[in-house]
This record gives sequence, C-alpha cells and structure tokens, in this order.
Amino acid sequence: MISKEVYRILESIVGPEYVSDDPVICEGYRSGPGGYENGLGYERVMTLVPGCVIMPRTTEEVQRIVKVCYRRDIPYVPYSTGFYGPRSHPHVEDALLIDLKRMNDFVLDEKHFYVEVGPGMVYSPIQEECMNHGAYVVIGGGGAQASAIANLIGDGWSPLSHRIGLPHRRILGTEVVMPDGELLRLGSLATDDDPFWGESPGPDLRGLLRGYTGLRGCLGIVTRMAIKTLPFQPERLEPTGVSPDTALALPQNRVKWINFTVPSKEAQVKAMREIGHAEIAGAVTKVPLFWRAIAKAECKEEFWDIWGQETEESIANFFIVRVLLIGFTSEEQMAYDEKVLMDIMEPLGGIARRTKPSDESWIKNADSAGMWLMCGGYVSLDYVIETLTQSIEHGPTYADLKKKYTPPLMPDYGDPGWFQSFELGHQGYSEFLIYWDPDDDTDPVDRFYVDTSKMNIKNRFYTSLLGPHQPLYLTGPKYGPNYHEFLLKVKDEFDPKWMSHPPVPLAHDVFVERAPWMHAMKDWESPDDLPK
Amino acid sequence: MAEELNVRYYKPRDEFKLDVTDIENFVYDMSRCIKCKGCTWVEHTYMPGAKFMTRCPSATIYEFDAYGAYGKMRIGHAMAEGLLDWNEKALEVMYACTLCGACDVGCKRNLDLEIGLTLESLRVKAVQDGVGPMPAHKKLAANIEKKHNFYGAAHKDRKGWLTEETQPARKADIVYFVGCNASYKNQEIARSTAKIIQAAGDDFMLLPNEWCCGNTLFSVGLYDEAKALAERNVEAMRKTGARTLLTSCAEGYRMWKVDYPKLLDIATEDLGFEVIHLVEYAGDRIANGALKTTRPFETRMTYHDSCSLSRLSEPWTPYEGKRGWMGCVEPRLKRRRGKNGVYFPPRDILKGIPGVNLVEMPRMRENAFCCGAGRGTKEAFPDFARRAANHRLEEVREIGAETLVAACPWCKSHFSEVTGENGDAIQVLDIAEVICASLDASA
Ligand SMILES: Cc1cc2nc3c(=O)[nH]c(=O)nc-3n(C[C@H](O)[C@@H](O)[C@@H](O)COP(=O)(O)OP(=O)(O)OC[C@H]3O[C@@H](n4cnc5c(N)ncnc54)[C@H](O)[C@@H]3O)c2cc1C
Ligand code: SF4
Ligand code: SF4
Repeated sequence: MISKEVYRILESIVGPEYVSDDPVICEGYRSGPGGYENGLGYERVMTLVPGCVIMPRTTEEVQRIVKVCYRRDIPYVPYSTGFYGPRSHPHVEDALLIDLKRMNDFVLDEKHFYVEVGPGMVYSPIQEECMNHGAYVVIGGGGAQASAIANLIGDGWSPLSHRIGLPHRRILGTEVVMPDGELLRLGSLATDDDPFWGESPGPDLRGLLRGYTGLRGCLGIVTRMAIKTLPFQPERLEPTGVSPDTALALPQNRVKWINFTVPSKEAQVKAMREIGHAEIAGAVTKVPLFWRAIAKAECKEEFWDIWGQETEESIANFFIVRVLLIGFTSEEQMAYDEKVLMDIMEPLGGIARRTKPSDESWIKNADSAGMWLMCGGYVSLDYVIETLTQSIEHGPTYADLKKKYTPPLMPDYGDPGWFQSFELGHQGYSEFLIYWDPDDDTDPVDRFYVDTSKMNIKNRFYTSLLGPHQPLYLTGPKYGPNYHEFLLKVKDEFDPKWMSHPPVPLAHDVFVERAPWMHAMKDWESPDDLPK
Repeated sequence: MAEELNVRYYKPRDEFKLDVTDIENFVYDMSRCIKCKGCTWVEHTYMPGAKFMTRCPSATIYEFDAYGAYGKMRIGHAMAEGLLDWNEKALEVMYACTLCGACDVGCKRNLDLEIGLTLESLRVKAVQDGVGPMPAHKKLAANIEKKHNFYGAAHKDRKGWLTEETQPARKADIVYFVGCNASYKNQEIARSTAKIIQAAGDDFMLLPNEWCCGNTLFSVGLYDEAKALAERNVEAMRKTGARTLLTSCAEGYRMWKVDYPKLLDIATEDLGFEVIHLVEYAGDRIANGALKTTRPFETRMTYHDSCSLSRLSEPWTPYEGKRGWMGCVEPRLKRRRGKNGVYFPPRDILKGIPGVNLVEMPRMRENAFCCGAGRGTKEAFPDFARRAANHRLEEVREIGAETLVAACPWCKSHFSEVTGENGDAIQVLDIAEVICASLDASA
C-alpha cells in the first residue's frame, strides 16, 4: 500500500484529480484478460493491478514523482497507452503506474522537418498533421493508436521503413527522466532548447535508450522527443467511407499501391532487393496471407469461411509483392518509378493485379486491432532484422516449429509470416505472429515463445526480441556473448534500486522460474538470486 | 468452419443471448477487450490532427483508463467474476458515460465485441445488485411513474404545444410521438414538426394518451420499468392502426426502433409499424417534391450528429446462439456496427437550403463527440455533461460556425444551456426548426 503520507505528496504534485488508489480506478489498468500477450502465462503470473495510478502533465512533475518513488522505495511503471500488453503493466505488488496520456503536447516544425511530442501523443494525429505540411512519419505496425515515443524507444517500423529506414535515426533531441529522477537531455537538447539534432557531444545514449528493441520501461521515462519527419507529396489522402468500411482514397497520380504475384519465393526476394537497389518505392512488403482474409471478412465467422478454403499447398504456392509508389517530387517521378518497377517485375514473372486505389492500413491507420478478429489471442512473437536472404531461411524454420504447437496455435497452413525490405533492400525484416483461442490450454503457447529463442540460437538467427522479452540468461550468453552482463550493468548503474519497472529486464527469467509448466524447458544457467 | 478445417480442435460450446439482463452474456466480450482504445480515439483514418482526437466523453473528461470502454470492460469483468465490488467510484465510472455508442462502433470497426450492450448490461447489473441507479435517476423514475413525463410536470399539459395551426388528425397513417422534451420544453420543435408534416400534405395523429418513452429508465438500468413502458406504448401504437411512428427526438427514435424491440425480445421489423425520424421523413418528401425548402437561411452552419439517430440507430434483431471455437458464434450474427446510422439525410436537407453554408466539424458522423447530456448523464453528473458540451462547442468555434443544428431536443436543450452560460454567440437550433423556417411560404 502506498502510505497516506506519500499519497498526499503525490496529490500535491499533480493535483488530487490526477492520482487515485481507488481499487476501481486501479482495476481499469489491469493488463488482461484480453489483448496483446494477455491470457498467456506471462500475464497471469507476472502482472498485477497497480496500487496507485498517477497522471502527470509535465516533465517536472514526472521528475518529482520519480524522486518520491526512489526515496521511498516505491516501484513504478511508465505507461503511455498500455497497448503493449503485460509488459506495460506492473509486475510487483503496490507499484505506482505513471500514466503519461496527459503529456500529449505536439509541435510541428515544418521548416526543419521534425515534430516534437510528449508520450501521450499517438501516431495518427501526428501523421495527419505531417501530411498537411508535406511530410510523413512511419507509423509502427503495432498501430496508429500507439504512443509515438513508446513505439520509437522499442520498435518503430512498418512497410514504410523500406524507404524511411530504421527508427533510431529518427529520434532527435530527447528528454529522459532517469530512474532516480535526474533529467537527461539527449542530442542538441543537451546544450540548449533546440531538439533538432539527435547526435550530441559525447556518447550517443540513444543506443541505451532503445537498445535493439527497447528496454520496456526499465530505464526511466521519456517525457519529450523530437522525431524526424521526411518529405512526402502535397496531395491530400482523403478519408472515405463509413466505419467499418473506411479507407484513405489515394491520389493515384501521386500515391499508389500495386500488388504483384510472382512465381516463387526467390522471385519475391529478388524483386524486393532490386526495387531497393533501384531506390524506388515507399514500401515493399509481403504480409501474412491470413491478413487478406481479415481484410475481406465482415466478421470472425466469415474469416474462418475464407481461411478454411486454404491448404498448405495453396499457401506454399502463393507469392505476393506489395509495392507502394509515391511521387515524392512530382507526378513524373512516380511515373518513372512505375516504369522502373515494371522493368524489374516483368523478367521475374511478376503480374500486376488489380489493386484498390486506397490505403486501409500503413500510411495513416496501421491497424493492428483487427488482428484479434479471428482468434482473440495474439502476440507478435519474433522479429528479425537482418538481410533479405535470411528471411527466406528464418520463415520456413519458424513455420516448422510452429507446426509442433498447432493446436493450440491457429491453423495457418505453414504461412511463413511477414517479410519485407528495410532501408532500400539493404536489410530484410521478418516477423512472426501467432494466434490462439484464449479459452484453450495456452501453456504450450508459453513454451513455444521460449522455444523460438532456442530455435534462433540454434540456427544463428539474430532475433530482435532479446532481454526484455525472453529469459535474459538464455539469450544473453548466446548473443554477445555477454549481452546479459552488459545490460544488467547498465541497469544497475542507472537504477541501482531497481525501481523502474522491476523485474524487467529479468522478468521473463522470473516467469520461467515461477511457472511450473515452463520448468522442463529450462536447460540454461541462471543465478539463484533472481528476484522471486 | 472449425469442424471442416483439417486441424481439429475440441471446444465446448457456450450458450448466450444478446440479453442485457444477464451480464454473463457479455463476459466473453469484456474478456476480449484488447486495450487498443479504438473506442476512445477518433477512427484513425479520419483522425483530424492533434486537436479533437477523442470521441469518448467519459474518457476525455475523466482521463483515467477506468472511464474508457477498456477500463469499464476490465472493471465489469472483475465484477462479473466476483473479484471486485461496487463502490462510489464504480458507479461514477459506469454512469458518467453517455452511452453514446462511440465506443461500440469504434470497437466494431475491427472486432466483433458487443461493447455497447455490455455497458447497458452493467447498468442493469448495478440495479440488480441494489446500488444503481444514481439518486438523481430515482427522482426521474418517480416523475415518470407518477406523471408519465421526465420533468414531473402535469400530464394534462403534455399537449400544451399544440396550436390552432398544428392540430392533429383524429386518424392518420403517421403517429407523431412528441416525447417529453418537445412536449414541455422545446415546444417549437413539436410545432415545427407538425407544420412540416402538414406542409408535405400529410396528416398526423398523436397517441391518444402519450407517455414518456422511457429512454432514461432504460438507459440507467431500470429494465423492468422501461419494459412496462415499452409494452404499454407499443400496444397503444398498434391500436392506432397507423403504419408509421415518427419522432423528432433522437432518443425517442432509438427507443422505439431499437430498445423497445430489445425489451420486448422481438425484431424491429416485427413491431408492426415503421419507426422514422423527422429527417428521414423530410428527406424523402423533399426528394419527391412534396416539401420545398426554398426560403434562404444565410448562415455558416454545422450539424451535430445526435448519437441515438446516428451510430445507435440500426434496427434490432434478437439473438440466441452458441459460442464455440475461436469465439465463433452459431447461428450467424449480423452485428450492428453503426454503418447504417442516419448520417446523410440531415446533411442533404441542410445543404439543400439556399444560403446555408454547411461546414463539418472535425469529428462527424460515427466519430462525433456526444453533447454530454444523453441517457441520464446530465441529471446525475451535470458538471461532466457541461464539460463534454463545452468540448464539443470548442469544435464549433474552431470551424467558425454561427449556427449549430442537432436533430434531437435533448441536444438542443443542453447546448443552448451551455452556450447561454458561456455567453457564446452560437445559435443553437433543431433541424425541425430549420426545415420549417426554410419551407416555401407560397407553397
Ligand atoms: C499487435 C502488435 C503488433 C505490433 N507490430 C509492430 C510493428 O509492426 N512495428 C512496430 O514498430 N511495433 C510493433 N508493435 C510494437 C508496438 O507498436 C509498441 O511499440 C507500441 O505499442 C508501444 O506503444 P504503446 O503506447 O502501446 O506503449 P505502452 O504499452 O504504454 O508501453 C510499452 C512499453 O514501453 C514502456 N514505456 C511506455 N512509455 C514510456 C516512456 N514514455 N518512457 C519509457 N518507457 C515507456 C512501458 O513501460 C512498456 O514497457 C506491435 C505491438 C503489438 C501489440
Ligand atoms: S473496447 Fe474495443 S476498441 Fe476499446 S480498447 Fe477494448 S477492444 Fe479496443
Ligand atoms: S458510451 Fe460513449 S461515453 Fe460511454 S464509454 Fe462509450 S464512448 Fe465513452
């Protein structure tokens, strides 16, 4: 319990209407039972309802809150929108959940191509404002409803990353309240109030901030960030339709999706690489085939009607490349890009299919919520950013392992997941998503999660989901080989009392210890003094 | 479906019904909420920018997650599982909510969850558990029981709006159900409606003894009381032999079209008569030339979608079935997603009036932000209702509209009150008044 005295201090920081330890208000912040990774063992074993919730408005208030926590040994968890499932929710008793939604300031600097936001600002408004000023950002595939800051300190990619590239480069001046309440200003914010530069004198701490895929709230709280925007094209993408049938109508002379079918996986990858090398297109991607069924279906029952028609053979023989053309500088530029694209696709046997002149997902509305339509249980289990070639190997290996766990996983007929080009083909991205019925026995899903780590280690695939998502003592010694030691030293240095979202980054290690159904899998060493 | 797939699963089948008197029917929906907050944000395709980003008044004003549908679902789920008890906060969370349906259509953009029905069911549960409704609602319920109207005014004055010009026929094909607000408060709406019907060359009659529609009773969870009114009113309407029931009130429209059938466990189409709102009627009569809205009205105008006419107004069909593998239901359920709400007729009417410059607010149609008054909210949480209205009025100011038009007397009452308090120079009108004023005087 947070004492009355501390509660009063918290009230004096934010005002009484923005702090509550009422059990009903706290229950409203429960992670599950539904949603990302919820319903699985990790949520059931590792998450708790917060003991208290507070909603600061300014960086200074965050600092003061965190200082109180540090002085009084109160564990806390930063929470921007809370969409990211159990990992965004308290793992220990009586934690203070710091809900950052009121910190939703937004400034757009048209001339210098950046926006400056607080953690409460989500993506779709940012994109709308940017597009109205001839710019755009990548909305992470996790959704237009995600906090841009929370997304950029952990993830930050979508098909648009083909051109725009990896997220860390787009993080400019940033303000972080460190675990003990000290204020850290990164980039040009370190020297004055101009957030224009991401780099600053001295070590670039953005690496620590997001690591490879983020430290998920265990290294303090980002309260402000300038995000680089990129030049777009001037014409309006007009929202059309009535919900649920809405889309952005694309000005076809300047923005256009084209779907190609190609004869083989090799052709798919070759197309992606060549499109990248030709430096054309705004996005080049292949998404899981069942997403098409989701898009077509009016309801979950209809999804199963459509998807139930597929077979391993039909899936294995269907290859699609989805290309987004953008006339960044002019209509002529897009017309030229289209010719180059056709020159690439034709010898590869690519056939341009009829494609809707609209965008339902990716440009402004990255729509991850629809992914729960057919099953109700979902997690994006593994993503790998490497070369395009490795995504061809990773996919089938993963699909094989998945078979072992189906059911309870959804029958996906061996669909090898989502892969695409990043950074104009210099990198490939593959991501694997799993779906299940939360009413089934989900213990195998928990085991599959860790088994994918073992598969990645065995096959030397470079997974993105290291420390905070997998047992650190399983992955750390294999990637590095001292990745875990390095990460824990950083954690100890900045957060010696482990108040910022404990026990992350050891949360998955703790989960494996606590969940009896995971014990048989544990064939790696970990210290005896893991937080219990 | 599942059985025909080559991967087979065993799955027990749970029976359920879209019946709000038993919260167990909605445990599935509550348990599947994914915290995407699609219920609170304006749909991302239509997201207007860094201002006016939300469409849930409850979450916008109170801000804690508990007040958004995702919080209400978690709290409701914990209650249904017996893990959490009612307290004062829980009542505020459940009742400081306009049941505006924004969450329901937002959620159903992507998912098949029955969020709106769950919220209704949670209020019925509050009453069943002996904690609801709020004290202010109990007063209203007493008014309705004793005087058959919301205000506790004398029943004999219900027809006080009638003038010599606007006399009803003794028998007609259209019954105009006036409702409490237009009968007692905004009588100009009732008069305008009557004039419009007459101008179109039609007659209308009134119910022989009109009583309150029971919207507030139903909305606050007083299910049995609302059901008794539904039975009485539907019976009275059937007895008239008229084929059409017309309302000028959005809340009344929704009651008659959606919630009476729900209360009576029948489909809207089985009511035995058609329920239409004035805007549907007028839209139709303008299209066939019976009404001519030719008199100019020079104004920069905006239209506010009253929730009960727009996203809440799709017809009702009872449903009973089984939920099985992956949550699929049998037989098939046609979900009410708000797509066929009455969004376009009022806009077409207004655009057709010479001089009207109709400008949309950033949040419109299924994304509109409720006025804050509806469904028992204003009576129990007046401050919340005022703040919600002010939030909406900011949008009106933002687009520089001089005239704000709604299609519900309750919206008009609330907006007028708040603009009056603020000293805003915004003219608030009901669409009935606007149509009436634009009718060709020579016709
Ligand atoms: C279904 C699904 C699909 C996804 N697909 C993609 C994808 O394709 N591309 C992609 O880029 N991402 C993807 N993601 C990741 C996702 O977009 C997250 O990055 C995003 O959800 C984080 O934003 P949030 O508002 O949900 O964060 P939250 O849930 O609020 O927080 C996420 C984590 O960050 C911490 N945190 C939150 N705010 C702060 C802060 N201000 N300072 C420090 N720590 C903080 C929290 O403690 C938590 O650990 C996916 C996620 C889901 C659920
Ligand atoms: S109620 Fe629906 S839209 Fe809202 S958070 Fe839950 S799942 Fe998302
Ligand atoms: S009914 Fe309206 S006010 Fe209530 S939770 Fe849903 S969107 Fe919010």
